[in-house]
Amino acid sequence: MSISKWPEQRAKEDFERILDPQGEVCGDMPDIGSEALLHWHEAMVKTRMFEDMALRLQRRGVFSVVAGGPGEEAIGVGASAALQENDWLHPTYRQAGALMYWGFPIDRTFAAMLGHAPEHVRAALPLDPADLPKLRSTPFPVFLGANIPLAAGAALADKLNHRAQVSLAFIGDGATSEGDFHDGLGLAGALKVPLVVVIANNGWSISVPTSRQTAAETLAQKAVAHGIPHRRVDGNDVFAVYLATKAALDAARRGEGPCLIEAVTYRMRAHTSNDDAQTYRDDAELHYWAKRDPIGRFEKYIERRGLVDEAYRTAQRKRIEAELRAAVKRAQSVPPTPPDTMFLNRLTGDEGWQFRHQQAELEAELEGRNPFLDFDGGGLPEARS
Amino acid sequence: MARRKAAEVTLVEAINLALHHEMARDENVVVLGEDVGANGGVFRATVGLQEKFGPGRVIDTPLAELLISAMAIGMATQGLKPVAEIQFSGFMYSCLDQLANHAARLRHRTHGRITCPMVIRAPNGGGIHAPEHHSESVEAFFAHVPGLRVVVPSTPARAYGLLLAAIRDPDPVVFLEPARCYRLFREAVADDGIAAPLDTCFVEREGTDLTLISWGGMMHEVRIAADQLAADGVDAEVIDVATLKPLDTQTLVASVAKTGRCVIVEESPRAGGWASEIAAELAEHAMMNLFAPIARVSGYDTIMPLARTEARFIPDVGRILSAVRKTLEIAPLG
Repeated sequence: MSISKWPEQRAKEDFERILDPQGEVCGDMPDIGSEALLHWHEAMVKTRMFEDMALRLQRRGVFSVVAGGPGEEAIGVGASAALQENDWLHPTYRQAGALMYWGFPIDRTFAAMLGHAPEHVRAALPLDPADLPKLRSTPFPVFLGANIPLAAGAALADKLNHRAQVSLAFIGDGATSEGDFHDGLGLAGALKVPLVVVIANNGWSISVPTSRQTAAETLAQKAVAHGIPHRRVDGNDVFAVYLATKAALDAARRGEGPCLIEAVTYRMRAHTSNDDAQTYRDDAELHYWAKRDPIGRFEKYIERRGLVDEAYRTAQRKRIEAELRAAVKRAQSVPPTPPDTMFLNRLTGDEGWQFRHQQAELEAELEGRNPFLDFDGGGLPEARS
Repeated sequence: MARRKAAEVTLVEAINLALHHEMARDENVVVLGEDVGANGGVFRATVGLQEKFGPGRVIDTPLAELLISAMAIGMATQGLKPVAEIQFSGFMYSCLDQLANHAARLRHRTHGRITCPMVIRAPNGGGIHAPEHHSESVEAFFAHVPGLRVVVPSTPARAYGLLLAAIRDPDPVVFLEPARCYRLFREAVADDGIAAPLDTCFVEREGTDLTLISWGGMMHEVRIAADQLAADGVDAEVIDVATLKPLDTQTLVASVAKTGRCVIVEESPRAGGWASEIAAELAEHAMMNLFAPIARVSGYDTIMPLARTEARFIPDVGRILSAVRKTLEIAPLG
């Protein structure tokens, strides 16, 4: 049998690009206002600093595992910038940028990363309803392939209800191998579902390069079989990501159905903090991609436009660092999750004697009583309705 | 084969040892899964295999669990002996389709002409502070399916012997490794190629007062509980079920008939867990020998909680001892 070692892979640069790696305009630059550009910048920088801080804290034992996407900020930020209020976002754990752009609370994210139950986090770190993000997002999923059929179903419901909103779902290159991806695209195409799918192709599924996921030349072309339009963009160019996603979302809003966008980027770090990328890939790739950094090129461009300078960036970093530190502090101030939180939000309503009895058993155990006293037919008194 | 010197290894190293052994012994054995090649598996269970046996026998698959289970079935029907890895047992629900509808039925549908000698392995259970979906205990789902063998080792030596047996078995085996025990302790394991039996429970400690039954990750707590009971003058018999399906009811019944008291410990949610099946078997076959009702010690019927609270879900030594104390209260010794 001859399955050779991985060929060196370098994604073809035959994609849409507005801003080249040197920060020079090489396409039709859209007219984006200064305020918006500064917000994009802020979201990308904050995302990177957030993920750097998360990794530092993981190394110190604060978090058990973190999975971030430094070098992929342009995809989450650029694509979600094309969304409107009340739209739906289905991110993966590589699109923290999308949440930063829409102002999701960082302290709650840190608290969730500490392993607290979400119900508890929400109660411990209350939020003024006015400060809630205007965008609706699903929680970070573990199963990225499932994002597509789930989002397709949700977007179909919006269409059937004649709602104005559209959905944006992300997936990685690896999860395009899951059957779910094709199931979802099939439905979305056939029923013209208002859904835009962005593949963040970062070249690696843990240790397996995209070239071993598929023999297809691009991931974008997978849309062809489903009769869906597709585009392929430089995922490290926030303008290219924004423009392609905006056009696709606009079309979806007009009832023209879905679109598949492949955004080509690179996973600069290991898969998660538990992974060691040096066991399976060459550092040379990192040097190649470091020169294509999304934030670096964007900063060169906005600096040339006179929007930022060194002093601004220094002050900005200081401000964000302080904001993140404060968020970590708030997250760490969250008291221990009460163990009985595990019984919340399972099924609606009273689940009956068996379930109540188990709750009572845990309570007894926590109070130092023996939960096993159920052999006489009565059970724990708390369980009786 | 010459007896090799036993080395002190962890459970995950014992898995690796068994894979190395069987791949060297039988060229039809192939290993496949996500990141099993150059990366050596996310838990390092397949380290060194691709270097030694090449990418033709140690295959990094596309990222698709249903595919992995299905391709293993296809390969098994053509004379290979695939050992497929799923990265976490919580990712195996899509494999259930292939295993229940195809792997488990091939022998039956072809009147015994086609068998499915495959193994699908995955780390199982919680206690490793993992994100959601990474701490599931799924054994009962598979044990419910006729035509599948379900094996859950609890020590390095048993993991080595049972995995060899699973690979050599002519039928599909779901092999669930307790992730929490991967590096919990070391044990001398001789790389002697001797398989452990797949049709018996292991009575690892004989006793007269009470039978403690468990498998996989919970065996560690059960052993500690048995030690503490011994210090208190209670002589517990400890049984590692190991092969959940087919279930060695005979060994279990014989033990409970002898002791008259039984506590079954499992990590999964209680309703429909394998402890329930065992309890029902014992009730049907040994009711008249019981001095006290059978107690189940388990997780609760909730979604597996996140890292901060998982220790209150997973049974600990204290919860096991509570059940034992209650049993002894109802039916005192002597």
